[in-house]
Amino acid sequence: MSFATGCASLIGGAAADTLSAVILNQDDPALIESGVPAYLLAIDGLISQHPDNIALLSGGAQLFAFYGSRFVTPERAVTLTAKARRYGNRAICLAHEPACRWADADYTQFVAQLEAVDKKDIGPLYSYAVAWLAQLEATSEDWTAVAELPWVEAVLERALALDETYEDGQLHAYLGILNCLRPPALGGKPDVARDHFERAIELSGGRDLSIKVEYARRYARLVFDQELHDRLLTDVLNAPVDAPGKTLFNVLAKQEAETLLASSKEYF
Amino acid sequence: MRDRRAAKTRSLAKVLLGVLLAGAATANAADIKIASVAPDGSRWMQQMRAGAEEVKTRTAGRVTLKFYPGGVMGNDAQVLRKIRIGQLQGGAFTAGGLGERYPGLNLYGIPLLFYSLDEVDAVRKQLDPELAAGLEQAGFVSFGFIEGGFANLLSNVPISTVDDMKRKKVWVPEGDNISFLAMETMGLSPSVLPVTDVLTGLQTGLIDITFASPVAALVLQWHTKVKYITDLPVSYSMGVFAIDKGAYSALSADDQRVVREVMGRYVQQLDHEAREDNRKANEVLTKSGLTTVTVKDADLEGWRKTIESIHPQLRARPDIDGMLFDRLVGMLAEYRRTHP
Repeated sequence: MSFATGCASLIGGAAADTLSAVILNQDDPALIESGVPAYLLAIDGLISQHPDNIALLSGGAQLFAFYGSRFVTPERAVTLTAKARRYGNRAICLAHEPACRWADADYTQFVAQLEAVDKKDIGPLYSYAVAWLAQLEATSEDWTAVAELPWVEAVLERALALDETYEDGQLHAYLGILNCLRPPALGGKPDVARDHFERAIELSGGRDLSIKVEYARRYARLVFDQELHDRLLTDVLNAPVDAPGKTLFNVLAKQEAETLLASSKEYF
Repeated sequence: MRDRRAAKTRSLAKVLLGVLLAGAATANAADIKIASVAPDGSRWMQQMRAGAEEVKTRTAGRVTLKFYPGGVMGNDAQVLRKIRIGQLQGGAFTAGGLGERYPGLNLYGIPLLFYSLDEVDAVRKQLDPELAAGLEQAGFVSFGFIEGGFANLLSNVPISTVDDMKRKKVWVPEGDNISFLAMETMGLSPSVLPVTDVLTGLQTGLIDITFASPVAALVLQWHTKVKYITDLPVSYSMGVFAIDKGAYSALSADDQRVVREVMGRYVQQLDHEAREDNRKANEVLTKSGLTTVTVKDADLEGWRKTIESIHPQLRARPDIDGMLFDRLVGMLAEYRRTHP
């Protein structure tokens, strides 16, 4: 990669996007697992040289979140996703100045202030949310993570209002997951979750198999719909993995689909 | 279909146990279906599943505990109905939810009964075994109780005296007749709502004041809609993991011992962990911006006197065991005398 020595004007979105594309189009998770750390170091280096580059910070936030939540030990996940969160925070703070003071807002103020984010800033807003989610997942044993869920959900809702098609329906997929975290008796909304998952599948053209896996794992298991669970996972196993920007996730999704399907009989 | 098959297996087990040789029971697998509101993957469910795994191994597969998490089998009342018709054999209940079967379980939840967790510990040590025995007589075998913790008041204006609550709309959980009576007697305006409507109720002003343990406040996300938390132990809540006595009795004596020992151990662990969880959750509530209101000693007296004035009324209710209530009050008096 030549971007390590490139000038600031070249590194922005293009480099981060190329970097992401190289990773996301891989079909060998083992290669990613061993190869991505080098990219992460490179991104770290670039960010230290260009600390105000929003696209780099956004890309860094997403890559650290992705790697930290999928490929490392729980202890390292905490460290790596914390860095993702810092990059995500900085990206949105640079893109949308009032965001620099969001940490001081209470929930009601925070939700109101999100309304001021423009569509042009959906990229950093999305990275901010994804990095935050990854950090919450890595620290899910901590009550702070439970406390912050409504905040990050509000960010995703705002991004969805700005452009529901962003990243081929990923916003819907995340909201589907969040609405399934709690059973209905504790405030969860499986019906809302189902609509989000269905819309996410539609917007991704059915090519993003990880959405179906989450739909099965979160929703179908929550509402005890074994028929839906097994059908979604069988679909995933029968689907092709190759899809631009989705290949890596699809390979991982197939591995998970196999595990989930194997435990179906025991769970239901 | 699955249910019918399981019911058949169970009744077959019963026949073999009761009519044929007791030894024959060891050859029969028992599928004990248990409902819980706890979501799959939660600490509760992890522990219950770990317990089930151990039971299965130690009974050589004769006893299988199968879980229905996430409230998929409905609320306490619906789970009780399903147990009655044999569709389920057990559940993780709130103490109040099982109170309709055994009123002894309503005692600990009486508002402002306990002054501290030390008092709770002293009373539970003495009374828990009796409550478990009473519940067993009422048809449910429990493996111990799990602390839910003290509920605190959560509000948008600071509340430190009973007077502060007057003219405010105070939430009372649907079906919680004891809290309703207590609130009414205190001259408050209770608003009865299901727990799932409280968040919206706080947002729309349908209610001004709610109460929950720190853990529950975070899980239910009520911390996003209130500004103050009053450091007053309003009421003590508890969970009860129990299975139908008929299903339990159908197991061989050896298997019964294994189930009781293993599940009892996991339940005890959850009971211990709950306290630390609430302590940490309380810290998080404060960090997330809620202001803690401390009740002055003089005002505490006001709260306690008001609630104690209705003890005779509470004691006379059909959902309170009067004799046990007297003993509990006696234990507390004794504890307070020896721990001034």
